[in-house]
Amino acid sequence: MFKLFIAIKKEFLILIYDKAGLVVMFAMPILLVFVITIVQDSAFRIVNENRISMLIVNQDTGVQSKKLIKLMSESGLFRLEQGSISTKNSFKETLLKKDFLTGLYIPSDFSEKLIAKANLVSAGMMDELGLDRDLNTSENINFSDIEFFHDPVLQENYCLSVINMIDAFLKGMEGELFINTMCDRLELKETPQKLKDAMINNIIPIKRKAVTASDSNVLPNSTQHNVPAWTIFAMFFMVVSLGNNIVKERLNGSFIRLKTMPSSFILILASKMFVYLSAALLQVCIIFSLAKLTFPLLGLPELTMPLNWLGFLLVVLLSSFAAVSYAMLVGSFAKTQEQSYGFGAISIVIFAAIGGIWVPSFVMPDYMQFISVVSPLNWCLEGFYVLFLKGGVWGELQPVVLGLFIFIISCLSLVYLKLKKEKIV
Amino acid sequence: MHDNCIHIENLSKCYDGADFYSLNEISFSILKGEKFGLLGPNGAGKTTLISILCGIFSQSAGEVFYWNNNSKVDFNEIKSNIGYVPQDYAFYQELTPIQNLEYFGALYNLSSTLINERTKSVLKVLGLSDVANKRIETFSGGMKRRVNLAIGVIHKPKVLFLDEPTVGVDVQSKVAILKFLNELNLQGTTIIYTSHHLEEAQEFCNRIALIDSGEIIVNGEINDLLQSNQSKDLKHLFIKLTGEEYRD
Repeated sequence: MFKLFIAIKKEFLILIYDKAGLVVMFAMPILLVFVITIVQDSAFRIVNENRISMLIVNQDTGVQSKKLIKLMSESGLFRLEQGSISTKNSFKETLLKKDFLTGLYIPSDFSEKLIAKANLVSAGMMDELGLDRDLNTSENINFSDIEFFHDPVLQENYCLSVINMIDAFLKGMEGELFINTMCDRLELKETPQKLKDAMINNIIPIKRKAVTASDSNVLPNSTQHNVPAWTIFAMFFMVVSLGNNIVKERLNGSFIRLKTMPSSFILILASKMFVYLSAALLQVCIIFSLAKLTFPLLGLPELTMPLNWLGFLLVVLLSSFAAVSYAMLVGSFAKTQEQSYGFGAISIVIFAAIGGIWVPSFVMPDYMQFISVVSPLNWCLEGFYVLFLKGGVWGELQPVVLGLFIFIISCLSLVYLKLKKEKIV
Repeated sequence: MHDNCIHIENLSKCYDGADFYSLNEISFSILKGEKFGLLGPNGAGKTTLISILCGIFSQSAGEVFYWNNNSKVDFNEIKSNIGYVPQDYAFYQELTPIQNLEYFGALYNLSSTLINERTKSVLKVLGLSDVANKRIETFSGGMKRRVNLAIGVIHKPKVLFLDEPTVGVDVQSKVAILKFLNELNLQGTTIIYTSHHLEEAQEFCNRIALIDSGEIIVNGEINDLLQSNQSKDLKHLFIKLTGEEYRD
């Protein structure tokens, strides 16, 4: 035990003396978690809270445009601001300056044309029913466009969904106008209450349900993604420190010297694994604690911890083990410290990119989702997703656990074979 | 039979994939308590031989016997009595001499008390007491060589293998290292030493073996070898027996 204790102490000292390595392992990921979460938060808010920032210029003085704006405002889906701008060019300039994602330009004849349409349809209806014939109603109405402006970075489907929302409000207004006009033509004093209620209340509801194997209601947000994602990145980035550590010992003859001593090389590897596993667990504790305690103070979504604590511990341990194993693999195969540093760091950045650390893999195209399976960071992230978003059901954790276990065994086997080939073990 | 420290019989080594033998059926003995020089040009097989004797590599054929033991080598038992000082700075330069000696001492199965005791004494003898708690990366080449040596002797080995122990050091460090080695030898440690500094070897060693192309060319006491080969010194003998052509 004394031997193991001293070996662990030596690894610990080497780790804490490596200031650059500590910065890469602790400071960099903490900074990344904060910066990326803040940056992505607005994007996640758009998706999850649907409060779309919109500048409205209303050139119409009629009632209908005001009604449309009121409906949009009451829906809670938009953050509206009305501008008093005369031309479309100055409208565009204001949009760019004020950093609105979308803008709506309502033409001056909007109310007039909407009422005209209701008249036209109701007149047609009365004519078809043989109740009345209004010879003054024109057959065609030339509508001026309502123009929807948007930031070019907004995706097509997102723009379409906004347009569809406005279109739904317009359809509702048109329907109401039509009923009112019909009532007028039928010389009813006011629209029957029954008809109004039927229009407002009897809409077929669509209820949204997230499909999970549990009753979890946690929705994806920037915190739920970024905290585990960048923690995994930090764990795997220990390849810089541990990889270099192993290359250095291989190249300076320390490993060879150890072969002349009455101690097992397994002890040396075990002490390295213990120290770096502890460092990875410390990374998890620090990053998760900071996120839990400080994110709400910064106006960021609070980190919701999983209920399955045992599953959480297992995924954290396996992720840490996977990171340590990968670092040992790189350290064993690299011929120089520069090679270990360069390949190790670049490979982790690539694994992170394809593994969904930067952008969740579920928003990637199908072929990229397929490719993401090769990234061990993706398996770790999947484990955290199961825990943080899907209720942490053991059945869903099984493939992740199995995948990580196979990855760890493969890495350690390759490390053993390489060191065996070099006559170190 | 002499009081052998190490007896080598028909030892051969052919590395995986190599089409020649690095060591070819060599046989000789190293006696207990002597300072034995293993000399030869680059690529002669010196490091291979030392590596086999220390248990780093295994031989392709032949036998090595330690301390008159006729049975096959059980290195796990023998390693506790072997000290190895490689040519490289095979230690942790981020750490202090004390931290390095604590680590390597523990790997030699020494107790905490014994490590502390021996660390103090060996650092004192090698003139490193004042820098015992400083990180080695700030040390000069000579100081690093002395730390390398201290690690190899922390467990008081019966036999000490030294691969170019004085390469790249100043005269003061060289004198200190050789003085320390002589003291160790007087206390009973057998020293097996390789070097390209032939004057140093002539001054330090009792006996030598000259090895070239994996074979022992001559083996014996220095004075006998110089006389029998009509050579004025070891350098002359070396060139006479191995030639002047490059061995890169």
